[in-house]
Amino acid sequence: MGTTGGRSVAAWTARAAGVLAAAALLTACGSGSDDETSGDGDGGATTLSLWHYYGTPDTPTGAALQGLLDRYEEEHDGVTIEARHIPFGDFTRTLLQSAAGGDLPDIALINGFTTQALADAGVIQDLSDRVDEWGEADRYFETGWQTTQVDGATYAIPHVADAYAVYYNETMLAEAGLEPPTTWAEMQDHATQLSDGERYGLAFSGIEGDEGATALVIRLLAAGGDPAQLDSEAGVTALTQFSDMIAGGAVSNGVLTWNEEDVKNQFANGQAAMMINSATYLSVLAEENPELQWNVALLPTDAQASTFLSQENLAISTSTENADAAWDVIAWMQQPDVLAEYLPERNKLAARDDVDTGDDPVRAIFAEQLQQAWAPEGDLAAASSEVLTRIQGALQAAAGGGASPADAVAEAQGQIDEALANVE
Amino acid sequence: MTTTLNEPGTANRTPPVRAPRRARHWGDHLFVVPAVVFVLATVLYPLVFNIDLSFRDVGVGEIVTGGAEWVGWENYADQLGRDEFWHALVISLLYTGLAVAVAFALGMALAVYFNQRFPGRNIMRSLLLLAWILPTVVSANVWRWMLDGSYGLINTLLEAVGLLDGDLFWLARPVPALFAVVFATAWSFTPFIMILLLAGLQGIPDTLYEAAKIDGAGAWRRFTSVTMPLLKPVNLTALLLCFISTFKTFDTVFLMTRGGPGEATMILPIYAYNEAFEFFRFDTGAVATTLMLVVPLGLSVFYFRSLRREEAA
Repeated sequence: MGTTGGRSVAAWTARAAGVLAAAALLTACGSGSDDETSGDGDGGATTLSLWHYYGTPDTPTGAALQGLLDRYEEEHDGVTIEARHIPFGDFTRTLLQSAAGGDLPDIALINGFTTQALADAGVIQDLSDRVDEWGEADRYFETGWQTTQVDGATYAIPHVADAYAVYYNETMLAEAGLEPPTTWAEMQDHATQLSDGERYGLAFSGIEGDEGATALVIRLLAAGGDPAQLDSEAGVTALTQFSDMIAGGAVSNGVLTWNEEDVKNQFANGQAAMMINSATYLSVLAEENPELQWNVALLPTDAQASTFLSQENLAISTSTENADAAWDVIAWMQQPDVLAEYLPERNKLAARDDVDTGDDPVRAIFAEQLQQAWAPEGDLAAASSEVLTRIQGALQAAAGGGASPADAVAEAQGQIDEALANVE
Repeated sequence: MTTTLNEPGTANRTPPVRAPRRARHWGDHLFVVPAVVFVLATVLYPLVFNIDLSFRDVGVGEIVTGGAEWVGWENYADQLGRDEFWHALVISLLYTGLAVAVAFALGMALAVYFNQRFPGRNIMRSLLLLAWILPTVVSANVWRWMLDGSYGLINTLLEAVGLLDGDLFWLARPVPALFAVVFATAWSFTPFIMILLLAGLQGIPDTLYEAAKIDGAGAWRRFTSVTMPLLKPVNLTALLLCFISTFKTFDTVFLMTRGGPGEATMILPIYAYNEAFEFFRFDTGAVATTLMLVVPLGLSVFYFRSLRREEAA
């Protein structure tokens, strides 16, 4: 009897061990896959991991980056770069979660405005010594370079820059006998004249969240305002004009639901005579809508000439074992001749002043606009996502929620002050 | 003599015939180990981690490096003192209540309809399930396009029947946006409710309806006096499951409005997401998600109590 019982226990123990081993194997499979992407391989071969939000290699933006990485691999024997695309909306969250789990990539291509937050979180490392040795810091435009600075140290290198300007439909403006607007009063006047019930005069993104604040920030900067001080004369002027344009039909109420891609589609379909957008859509518009006659002009200027900076930075993670190899990739990607080839493919602008940008007049307008770019600094940079979200909230409240512009900016200012006070 | 018949260590009080059964029971329990490991790793650990996080001062600096200071109930006090939190809770309850009511009414109507026998019934039932099977990212984006003010199908239809003149941007106005996300959510939950209720309806014996008919009960009377009382446990289950799923819904609303316009559709999951992953206030995000547990938990207790009463009756 005892013998039978013993065999039974042994059999069940063996089965249980099998189940546990299977479970352990599954767990190992789940966590082990990323480990292959870092660390020195055999025979001096190095595999680097790079995370970005540009798109998969079958998209125009993802293909341009992949082409750049392929070129690096061709020129550097024994180095493999494994790129991983994470959608923009999930990117920062994924990095932070991965950092908490100790599983970061070697290189991260991050948004300029989140650089400070990621440095504060200990996700990316201080590159000051490498940058000093490199000696190319003074080649970069001041505003863009500032996005890489945290407490006097350099935590990233600008990868590419972008700025917002006015795209306009040449046919529609010519039919109305108009030139591109140079002041915001002209912009409102033109947009009103160009709207006819079927199409709107001007389109921009006003969607919920920080993306939808860009146009209002641009208008506020032109009036001489400061995004940290929305409750000001400039803030009320900017918001009043935007609300009036929406109420009067010069701008569609739909801007409150449009992201920048939607805005591009409205412009491409002839639903909007002008749009405020970045250089990202230059080739897309040319390739997808060859019959559309359009051009680009500088943003209107009132008290000052300003645009909103859009920038991506390259950073090295704190947990990498391949920091030297990662730095080599970053420095190579920033060589002027490499950028000169890459930037037109990517529809972006150089973040430094020694890149030959060719003689394309449209790109020249964007490059000129970039000289006037604004980006948040200091506490405003650390809280930029929340502050911009509150600014979009003011636009929404005034344009769609029935609040007066003065009440909307006062309400948003309270939230902005709270956000800035929360910065540690 | 008796001692020699037993293996060492086995006492007389244990009859030898029971030994294998006992061993088998012990062995059977091993099969639960992977499930326990899974639950511990994917449910209990994140839950405890989240609750722990809600009692600490965790900003962007502490989430990775650790060393967050324990602050007791301070985060909860802060959160409960914020108007935005209460606004999100009210919107969440309003959104969930309305979506469940609409989904339940539609689901019940469809279940009663499909409980009758007619040709093509099974095909139509399967087709209706598509709304439930469709990934949310698809259905939410389809609704977003259909509700677009310029080229959306809904506006085109309303204009065709003369109910609308000009563009109406549903998702740019607070009240229409709330109704839009409520309807889109209800639309995706309706087939699920229908299937549950249909299963319940098919369990009601025809003889009861025949008896009620003989007693002179009309269709409405048969529905209120036979169908509804007998469906009560199924109704409760369907309502509870639908309420819990809707209360924690994130994707539909996020994809359609991101919580806007303004704060019009700012439900608690989006509020918590914004706090944690947009504004990097992980502690207040954790507080919001922990407090979010209270509503479904309270409902579950109520549900199990009423089920027990039903069973006792």
